[in-house]
Amino acid sequence: MSPRNKVARGRFALLEALKNRDKTWNALAPRYGVSNPNPPWKSSLIAMCDCLDAGGALPVLDRRHAEDELADSVYSDIPEPERQLLALAHTMLSRGLITESDLANRMRAVRARLEAV
Amino acid sequence: MSHAHTPGNGGADHPAAPMVEEITDFEVLEIAVRELAIEHGLFTAEDHRRFTEWAESIGPAAGSRLVAKAWTDPAFKARLLEDAVKACKEIGIDWAEPTGFGTPSDYMNLRVLEDTPTLHHVIVCTLCSCYPRPLLGMSPEWYRTTNYRRRLVRWPRQVLAEFGLILPPEVEVRVEDSNQKCRFMVLPVRPEGTENWTEEQLAEIVTRDCMIGVALPRPGRTADVHPMHKARRPVKGQAHSGEAAHESKK
Repeated sequence: MSPRNKVARGRFALLEALKNRDKTWNALAPRYGVSNPNPPWKSSLIAMCDCLDAGGALPVLDRRHAEDELADSVYSDIPEPERQLLALAHTMLSRGLITESDLANRMRAVRARLEAV
Repeated sequence: MSHAHTPGNGGADHPAAPMVEEITDFEVLEIAVRELAIEHGLFTAEDHRRFTEWAESIGPAAGSRLVAKAWTDPAFKARLLEDAVKACKEIGIDWAEPTGFGTPSDYMNLRVLEDTPTLHHVIVCTLCSCYPRPLLGMSPEWYRTTNYRRRLVRWPRQVLAEFGLILPPEVEVRVEDSNQKCRFMVLPVRPEGTENWTEEQLAEIVTRDCMIGVALPRPGRTADVHPMHKARRPVKGQAHSGEAAHESKK
């Protein structure tokens, strides 16, 4: 296994728990009668990848190698663009750019914020 | 998310498009990862906004200009085929910094594929959705489907026919697979009937799909014209639109 393939060795419980095909855009959009082929967060995800590359935190080739590998293994059952998002989070966790506990805490905080009335 | 339509803003009678009224874990994950990245100093919120704006605003106009210039300037075409990244600078596209404020996730290896009367190119990314964004903008939805990605390399003529492009057997079809190391764009054959046209006129008929290779440029066919053939055998008594109902009564 080449060095660039190391990323798929690990699994993150937090991300494993998110692998729910029923909540992907392909499943949700027709349920709500939405014709937009992409979820509203898609362009933000693309821009995030661009930013990580531009700033040098995660070069595009490294990200793409990891993405390809994870798409064939850990997240093969999840469609795009959710798969790209999971792969990006996985790669950032693997590289220590963010930690799993920080991400879990932040997800709880974000959800609370979005659901606030 | 609610969205109020007001007069003068697209039509007061137009109902708001439905939205997914559900906060998914994926939406939450995207925000959480982004916020942590910003807090850790990996990029700024302003960087992110500008990249998003750029990604959502670019279109295929630069590619159209490139093709039109190549059609009218043989010396430029030679330079384009020799070193496409270098030639792009002549029309103001710098692959090293197409946004003007940083390096996006595109590559410095672009090859322009020249069609001839007996050779037709079409591009795909079998792996995901690699695409020459600085020239063509965001890739179309169908370009990212497994239907297109998997079938084009196996049955290119069949897939092209589904786009309405039926090529004669004597025309060789060559599929180029984009990847993280190389991007492609098709330089179609300049169509007949465009003699003495200006670059601006020519650029108008070089639509996105012509540069992907699923369509051919043709005088009168521009991106803002939507030709529609009448149904030859409309279903009687089941027409929904006014026009279709009118047709069915003839």
